[in-house]
Parts: sequence; structure tokens; C-alpha cells
Amino acid sequence: MATLVQVENLRKEFGNVCALAGVSFRVEAGEWIAIMGPSGSGKTTLINILGGLDMPTSGQAIVDAIDVGRLDESGLTRFRAQKIGFIFQQFHLVPYLTALENVMLAQYFHSSTDEKEAREALERVGLGDRVEHLPGKLSGGEQQRVAVARALINHPKLILADEPTGNLDEANEETVIQLFHELHREGHTILMVTHAPSIGRLADRRIAFAHGRLVEVPASLKTSL
Amino acid sequence: MFWRLLWKLLRGSSGRLVVAILALVSGAMVISALLNLEFDIERKLTQEFRMLGANLVISPGHDAQINGAAPAALMNESEAFAAIQSLKDPAVVAAAPFLYIVERAGDTPVVVAGTKLEELPELEPAWRIEGQWTPSHENQIPCIVGRNVVRQLHLALGSTLLLSYLGKTTQATLVGIVDAGGAEDNQVFMGLAEVQRLAGLPGQIGLAQLSVRGTAKNISEFAARLAAALPSYEVRPIRQVTEAEGDLLNRIRLLIGSMVVLILALTALCVLATMAALAMERRQDVGLMKALGGSIARIVTLFMAEVGVLGAAGGFVGAILGIELSRWMGQRVFGTAISLRWEIFPLTIALMVAVALAGALPLRLLGKVKPAVIFRGE
Amino acid sequence: MFGRLVRESFVRNPRRKVLVAAALVVGMAVATSTLTIALEVGDRLAREFRSLGANLLVTPQADTLPIEIGGVDYRPVNEGAYLSETDLGKLKTIFWRHNILGFTPFLDVPATIQQSENSDPILAMIVGTWYAQNVSVPDGTSFKTGLSVTHPWWKVQGRWFHDDANECVIGSALAATMPGVTAGKVIYVTSRSPGDSAQGQPGTTQAIALKVVGIVSTDDAEDKALLVPLAIAQKLSGHPGQFRQLFVSALTKPADTFSERDPLKMTPTEYDRWFCSPYISSISFQIKTVLPGTDVRTIRRVADTEGRILSRVGTLLWIVTLAALGAAALAVAATSATTVLERRAEIGVMKALGATNSLIAGIFLAEQLLLAVAGGAIGFVVGAALARSLGASVFGTPASPRLILFPVILGIAAIVAFVGSLIPLRRASHFNPAPILRGE
Repeated sequence: MATLVQVENLRKEFGNVCALAGVSFRVEAGEWIAIMGPSGSGKTTLINILGGLDMPTSGQAIVDAIDVGRLDESGLTRFRAQKIGFIFQQFHLVPYLTALENVMLAQYFHSSTDEKEAREALERVGLGDRVEHLPGKLSGGEQQRVAVARALINHPKLILADEPTGNLDEANEETVIQLFHELHREGHTILMVTHAPSIGRLADRRIAFAHGRLVEVPASLKTSL
Repeated sequence: MFWRLLWKLLRGSSGRLVVAILALVSGAMVISALLNLEFDIERKLTQEFRMLGANLVISPGHDAQINGAAPAALMNESEAFAAIQSLKDPAVVAAAPFLYIVERAGDTPVVVAGTKLEELPELEPAWRIEGQWTPSHENQIPCIVGRNVVRQLHLALGSTLLLSYLGKTTQATLVGIVDAGGAEDNQVFMGLAEVQRLAGLPGQIGLAQLSVRGTAKNISEFAARLAAALPSYEVRPIRQVTEAEGDLLNRIRLLIGSMVVLILALTALCVLATMAALAMERRQDVGLMKALGGSIARIVTLFMAEVGVLGAAGGFVGAILGIELSRWMGQRVFGTAISLRWEIFPLTIALMVAVALAGALPLRLLGKVKPAVIFRGE
Repeated sequence: MFGRLVRESFVRNPRRKVLVAAALVVGMAVATSTLTIALEVGDRLAREFRSLGANLLVTPQADTLPIEIGGVDYRPVNEGAYLSETDLGKLKTIFWRHNILGFTPFLDVPATIQQSENSDPILAMIVGTWYAQNVSVPDGTSFKTGLSVTHPWWKVQGRWFHDDANECVIGSALAATMPGVTAGKVIYVTSRSPGDSAQGQPGTTQAIALKVVGIVSTDDAEDKALLVPLAIAQKLSGHPGQFRQLFVSALTKPADTFSERDPLKMTPTEYDRWFCSPYISSISFQIKTVLPGTDVRTIRRVADTEGRILSRVGTLLWIVTLAALGAAALAVAATSATTVLERRAEIGVMKALGATNSLIAGIFLAEQLLLAVAGGAIGFVVGAALARSLGASVFGTPASPRLILFPVILGIAAIVAFVGSLIPLRRASHFNPAPILRGE
């Protein structure tokens, strides 16, 4: 398997606060990785850097052979549109766009819109009958499924999910996790931040953070190194 | 998708847009009304100043001999008035010939002015008249009499005035009593032809008075053209009127103009602040779209289009309302509607779009903001 | 805790306050300056309108009919009535004495002019008047008045005569007929008072040598006359201390339907109000009281033009001021509204913690009121400065700040900021904290 993500000695400082203090790891294509750790341990910062939302202070973050830290503003924009699918804890759907339009928005930023494809993506996440609903009219789980559809629509190399089930009840959590299982089976590479051990256990591997460092490298990672 | 997004932006967040639209419409309304007023104020005021009466006099030249009360030198009536008519200037509000002679009403000498009675109300709008300017019966010789003459000679409306001049007499009916607060209170006004007949000076006049609308510059230009057409006579603006009028007009214009500029600036600022606030509300959306891979140029264009459309719509509605407002203001202030300037329309809309876009400029600054920062809610 | 919350909100996010404060300052500055100008403009413009010259004309009541063309009286000197010069100081004792800006007496005498003792005499009108005469007022002060105040558009080449010298100023048209008469030349003026033929008195002849000091152009009948100090015309006419006409320039308030009413038919209260308002009718009434036997007439052209334009410009300015107030209110309300909207999250948290709507409203309103007072005060100072420079550029003298406006402006600022935040706060009170906290 090819290495999709390679992180080398990654550091990120916010003023005096050190969010990431030299982190290194690799992710192979098709892997499902759970990033775990207490609040403030640097998980979200890592996701933001890998997704091109934030820049590292030093070190390398290579995604699909692109060093994210070296991209300029427009390069980052293109990178986000083409390589990354984001799923946020807060869903972050545009409130005045319908479910369908939220999905199409990602298409629009990637290349051009294709309404049929967007509908199919929503059908895939089980929302074929709710395409014209505004996010406010959808339940939390449904909103997160729209976000998943949106994240997948451009066939990203890497799906970054930041606590995707953090705002969901158990039933909805189950549905969304089921979706992640399917994605994994289809060969998508998933990096998922979570602090629920029950969800973490579903992943191929777990990377645990504390105070901006990896505290425990799971056996599988050791072997691959 | 661009238009779909734009449409959704405008429709989807209508609640929040209400304040912005309110600001835009009322701003555009005030701006277009004040611009209309500002463009029209000079015309309106110069019209008001015609209350001062004649501001241009045509008289025989300075070489005339000074000879007491008798009209010293005379002009040819038809020559002078042909020249005025040939200029065909709409700024001429009124023009009247005058021929003064001192007649006797019984034993009392009285100054009689032969003129066109029908021009007097336009020439001297400030005069108060009791009775009428023009006669009600065709077959009388009408006269308008100054109030002092009426008092001295114990006359009343409708009474007959017997005037004699060098053996010739005329019988005139008093149709109006004038209160001018000046020399005219001591004079009698009659038809020019009758006075010419009495004086034995057919076709001759002593001077002509004109009321010309416009700024001091317009009036002196008009005087110069008239002088060129009448080289043998002297054409001069009445300085008391033109000078004071010019000065006052300038001051009032400056006053209104500076107030209008102040309010325009304030209104523009108000719209600017509202649009800036609206733009700042889009921070979250901008951040999200950036995270989804939207380029800054694309996102900013989208939101700029939003405020641009808002500005144009607000400007359009506001300009219509503003023109109504200026109509009302004209009615309220000057008693006549202000004439509409259609250039106000594009001007107001352009101004509103420009102000709205300027207000949305802070969005460009968001281009430098990392989306992650916006998500953290900072 | 309440005070602390308000204070915290200021300290924590001063940037948001800047927007509201700036809107308040700009809005209130414009409101202050337009209000100041609108309050002053009546007086200022009325004074400017005095450049049109006199607006009242005083003549003897029991007069014969003047033979007057273009302002010059061609009656012989023995005909008609005269007024006495000695009473003129009383004009500055009437209720509205400060509104009497100036007055000029006139006495016209037909006379002959000779360039030298034995050259051909020319018949001309001699106009006796004051250029800048000191008039003693009964209260012990003195008042300088004359053509310089009432006829500012009369332009002289050379200089004006001194009122106590044997000098004269020649009308431009007259000067054109007398070649050789220039400034510095001495001319001889002779008048014949025809005497009283009924009583067989012979006429007397008065001859005076006068030095020409200037050529005047008036654009009126005086261009054909010789202007001399009043005392000389009195000597020529044989009417010492007397004159025929008095032009008065008074600051007045535009006439309205009330001022046009007959004072004899007013109730005592109405009469007092009328008497104590500087209407042209009440001023002429007061002049008539101190100068008995006179007829005080309003020069309609001047008075009506002035009244009309003053009232129109006044109305216009009030409308414009209202527009300014409206725009200022809108600016402040819009910005306060947006700050409240921006702080929905904060409101959500407070509500989640159990804060009542009234407590939240209290905190926000207290904050807005503090901002309003600060912004209003700064706006007042800025606006007063703006009005000063505006007044200076429009009227030549700066408009003095009106302290009475200070509380008015603060009040307006408070009301506007209050109302501006009240509407969004009402909306905020319907907020359900949960979606706000979730960040929707």
C-alpha cells in the first residue's frame, strides 16, 4: 500500500502555546485512523493542518505527495477542493442552501456542478427524499449525513472528520458510523478525530495525543515503520 | 451555480437583510431627494428673487440733458421692445415700458406713468394691490393709483380720475390701488398709449424695465446681449437688486449645498456601516466556503455581487421614493413642485452600489483570515 | 455583577464598540451642526438681506403728494411737509432698538450748479443725506448711521463726503454732462427759495461752494443728482434741521398671518406677543410711536422678498435638518442593531445560564446608553466645530455653539441608540439558546 499521508516532526505554535510539539506518523492509502486524546491535545490542529486550513510552524505534512506547508493561498484552496473532504463536529452546512445545494456548493468549488451526481450522493447517505430541505429542517444526524455526502462528492483522496459524532445522539451516531464503515470498505482514507473509545476501536489504528505529542504508537504503526 | 447561490443569499437571509435594505432605501431616498433639491435650488431661488421686481433698465444714454421732472430724452418704444423680443430669452419674466409725465389732477400735480398694466403684476410681484391689475370693462381707460395719491385726492376704487396735461385731458377709472412702499405710492399708472397721446409723444418711452431670472452672471450676460442689440440706448442691471441677489443666492446655495454634502456623507456612512456589518455576518460562510475549497476571488465576487444587487435595488427603490420626497419638499417649501432631474436616477443608483461595495470591502480582508480561525469562533 | 458585566463587555471587545461609537459621533456631529445652523440661519440671513437696503420708509403724514420719480422728489422746497432731524435718535429707544441697523434721512432741493462763478448754470437736483453721521441717542450713547448702512450698493469713485464739510459727491450721469468736473474741483450751488408769493415775501437766494470728492453711481435717479451732506441741503432749502424722507433698515422676522393682523383687534396677550416680535409691522408701529406725525411704510419689494426667501430657506433647512437627524438616527440604530445581532452567542450563553430577558436587555441597554453619552458628547463637540467653520464659510462669522443643544443631542443619541438596540433585543428575547450555542 502507498503512503498517502506522511507527517514529519510537525510543530504548531499559537503564540506561546504549543499545540503540536513535533509529531511524526504515516497513513497508508485506504486506512481508517482514529486520532484520540483529551481536549486541547492538538487533534483539531493536526486535522486543520492536514486539510490546509492552517499552516504548520515547522515540520512537514505531506498529503498525496503535496507538502501542505509549502502551498500558497491559492494552492491551498485548490488542494482543499481537490484532495480533501471535510466533516465537522458542527456540520457547518450553509443555512440558507438546501441539502442538495450544500452538496453542489462543493462541486462548484471543485469544478462544475452536476445536480444528478449530487442527488445520487444524497441518496447514498439515505437522504434521497430530503434533498430540497434546508439544514434547519433536518435532524442532527441528517445534517451530518449531508456533510458526509458533501465531503465525498469530489472523490477526495483524504476524508478528515473532526468529532463527526460529537453532536449526535446514539441512533444518529450509529447511522453516521455505518457510513464511515462503508466508506472504509470502499477504500477511502479516513482520519477521524474522536474521544469516544467505542468509536476509536472501530478504526484500523489509533493515534493518541497528549499535550501536542503522540503518547502511544499502536503496534500496527510500529510494524509498518 | 453562481446565480443560484446569489439568489439564495438574497432570499435565504431576508431577515437579516431587512436592516440593510432599510438603510439602503432610506439612504438612497434622502440622497436622491437632496440631490434633486440641490440641482434645482438655484432656479427656484432666482425665481423667488424676482419678487424684488425689475432688475434691468433700458434708458436713453447718459448724454441726455438733465431737466427736472420732465422726461429729458426718450426712446423709441417699438425699437426697444423689438430688441427684447428678438432675443427670445425665456429668462425674461416681464418687460414694461415707462413714460413719466407730471399731469394735474384738479390742482394737484401728480406723476403719471404710462406703462403696460398687464405686465406690472409679473414685473413687481411684491406690490400689494387692492382691486385689479387689469380692467373689467373694455370701454374704460383703466388706471392703477398709488395709495398716497388715493389718500391725497380722496379717491376710491371705481372712482373717476380726471387728468390734464397741457390742455389735453383724459378720464380714467380707478381699478386698483397699489401699496409699494416707495415712490410708486405717489404715482398713477395708466396705459402707455393714453399717456403718449396726452404728452404728444406717440411711440416714445422714457425707459423700459425688465425682470430677468437668473444669477448675477446670467443677468449681466443678458444685459450685454441686449446692449449689443440696442447700441443707441443704455442697458444696465439695477445694482441694488442684482448685487444683493447674487450675494444672497451664493450664500444660500453654499448653505444648502454644505448641509446637503454633510447629509450625503452621513447617509453614505450609514449605508457603509450597515453593509460592513452585513458583510461581517458572512464571516462564517466565507470561512466554510474557503474550507470547502472555494477560492477567495470566487467567494468575494459572490458576496460582492450580493451587496451590489442590494445596492442597486435599494438605490432604485430609494431614488423613486426620493423623487417623491423632493416633490413633496418642493411643494412644501416653494409651493411648486421641484422639476425632476432624471440624471438623479443613475447617479443615486451608482452612488448606492459604490457605497454598498465599499461597505463590503472588509470581506476582502477575510481572504487573509485562516478558515480555522473563523471556525474556532474568534 | 451587573456593572461588571457592562464593564467587561467594553473592555473585552472594544472593536465592536468602535463602530457604534463612530456612528454615534458622526451622526450626532451632523445633527449638532445642522441644528446649530438651522437655529442661527434666520438671524444670519436676515442680516445678509440688509444688503438689499432699507425696508421701511418714513414720510410726513400730512404731506402733499410728492412729485417723485425714481426716488427723487421734484417738489419745490416750499411745498409739502417736513420731519425734524432732532427726533431721529429716538429710533434707537424703541423696544426693538437693536434691530434698527441704520437709517438715512433725505432732503431733495432743486438747484442750479455752476462750474465757476460765471459759467452757465445747470439745473439739477441736490440730494441732501448722511453718509456716516453720529446721531445722539436720548440714552446718552451715539449711533453712527447713513448711506453706508442703508444704501450699500451705492458705489463712489473717489470718496464719500464728510457729513460736516462743504463737500459733495456728483451723480455719474450728471458728471457726464459736466465735463471738467472731477474729484477735487469746487462747484457752486445756488438755490432759490421762491418765498411766499401770497404774502408778498421775496424769494431768497442761497449760494454755497462745494468741493467735489467723488462720483457716485447708484443705478437710479440719484445718478442725475448732486449728493451733499444733509446740513447743506437744509441750508439751500431754507429748512434747517428738517428732511423729507427717512429710510430705515431693520432686522425683521418674516411676516406671517399673525403679523398681518390688525393690532387694534388683538387680545392683550396677542398684542404683547406681536409687540415683542420683530415683525416689520410691529417695528413700524413702534417707529410711528416715537416719531408722531409720520407715515411708516413697508418697502414691499425688499420686505416681501426677504420674508419670502427667509421663510422658504428656513423651512428648507428644517427639512434638511430633519433629514440629517433621520439619517443620523438610522446610522446609529443600524449599527447598534448589528452589534446586538453579532452577540447572539453571548446572549445564548447568558440565557442558558438562566438570565432573564430583562437582565440581558438591561446589560445591553446600559452599554448602549454609555456609548450614546460618550458618542453624543464627542459628536456635539465635533458638530459645534463643524457648525463654526460652516458658519464662517457661509456667513463670514463662525456660528457660536449653542449649549442648549448639548442635552438635546445627548437625549437624541440615547433615544436612537436605545431604540436601535431595542428591536434586535426583542428578537433576541425569542432566541432559543440551544441552536445559538450549537453555532447555527
